[in-house]
Amino acid sequence: MGRDAARDGRGRFDEVTDVALIVDDSAVNRQLLARHLASIGIDAREAVNGSAALEALRAPDSNVGVVLLDVVMPDMDGYETLAAIKSDDALRHLPVIMISGIDELDSVVRCIQLGATDYLPKPFNPTILAARVRASLADKRVRDLEVAHAAEQAALLKTIERQKEELARFLSPQVAALFSSPEGEQLLAGHRREATAVFCDLRGFTAFSDAAEPEEVLGMLREYHAKMGELIVGYEGTLEHFAGDGMMIFFNDPVLQPDHVERAVRMAVAMREMFGGLASKWARLGFELGFGVGIASGYATLGRIGFEGRYDYGMVGTAVILASRLSSAAASDQILLNPRAHAAVEELVEVEAVGALQLKGFARPVEAVNVLGLRTVAAAATA
Amino acid sequence: MLDEGPVVDQSVIAELRESVGDDESFIADLVATYVDEGEGHFAAMDAAAAAGDAAAIVRPAHTLKSSSAALGAMRLSQIAREIEMAGRAGDAANLVARVAEARAAWDATLREMAAAGLTK
Repeated sequence: MGRDAARDGRGRFDEVTDVALIVDDSAVNRQLLARHLASIGIDAREAVNGSAALEALRAPDSNVGVVLLDVVMPDMDGYETLAAIKSDDALRHLPVIMISGIDELDSVVRCIQLGATDYLPKPFNPTILAARVRASLADKRVRDLEVAHAAEQAALLKTIERQKEELARFLSPQVAALFSSPEGEQLLAGHRREATAVFCDLRGFTAFSDAAEPEEVLGMLREYHAKMGELIVGYEGTLEHFAGDGMMIFFNDPVLQPDHVERAVRMAVAMREMFGGLASKWARLGFELGFGVGIASGYATLGRIGFEGRYDYGMVGTAVILASRLSSAAASDQILLNPRAHAAVEELVEVEAVGALQLKGFARPVEAVNVLGLRTVAAAATA
Repeated sequence: MLDEGPVVDQSVIAELRESVGDDESFIADLVATYVDEGEGHFAAMDAAAAAGDAAAIVRPAHTLKSSSAALGAMRLSQIAREIEMAGRAGDAANLVARVAEARAAWDATLREMAAAGLTK
């Protein structure tokens, strides 16, 4: 009973009942082979010719592991049967042992060329029979395991790909990529490097949220995030977080970007232009909103921040706080740079000084500049 | 000239017995299968011989050759082999006489097997 229960689907690999299909038109041969197979623990099924054999092999519940095939049979002989097995994708790998009389060795050679695994001479010698059948079954088992293993691998890879896709929806693509890169673990663990932090948010947003309907606020934010998101991805910034209308983006990490300040500034300028379009649309609806940006570059610590179960990939350092303060200090349409960031892009941008800003948490005033715009190529060349 | 070999080679029977652990009832079943099947092969060979159809005689002769050899019926196996060869060569001459010769060997085989206590 236990054996039958084990054979019902589950545990095919644990409960190995080997089954051989004997294909021979001679009942004496079938009976004798079945008996010899039984004595080595192999169940035998029988077919009187090739067509019956193929029918048995193609049955959905076929558990045949090896075929013993006679050459001369009525209706469908050994050659045709072998050819049919070898041209059937589902059966191709099934070991086929030819049964052959001593005067049929030529046909055996032909069958082996057609893909037969081995041959069994008549009259049957039980020891040779056992050795050849067991060798074929062992080969098949190895192959089955390889196939199963390959299928597991493919399923695993598919899962990983899906996880990566899902992760990429929640995380910045650069951060999502860390999970599958060799140096990812090291970067996640935390490292120090120069980076550029960008903070931006809307002016007048809080007042707008109070006055507008929640649906209106959400719809507007969605549009704002979508448009800004495109630019962040376009300039390959790493979005650390967004909270309401505010966003923090950094550059030069985790992917190194030699032109990280330039990227940050170009993105901010593009955002300001983009915002201009959105703002005039909202203005027609009666909402006056402005957009301000703070950019600071400097050394910072980057990596996994948070606690087990809720980590972010973040940037910590003076540059982050400075960018945040500059963003708060920026008037509508201003993009404020700290001196270090300004020095890196001096030749690319037209700026105006905004004077020494007293910023919360900073003992000394910060000489920030406001980016008026990007220089044209010609102007940059003569600068 | 075909009468030279033994009708039933007892050493084959002995090996067969040994290979199945002296399971007499299995041997008896096997011989019964051989007898049943043999009658069918003879019917097919008779028909092919009477029709002078060399191609049609190949398969029954081949199978009879093989089953007979498995049970040590060497003389019949040898005759069946020659009939198979003649059939493959398309040689329809003497088929009736050859099948009659096989029939005589068959009868002798069954007698010897019965005498040896192989039949039920």
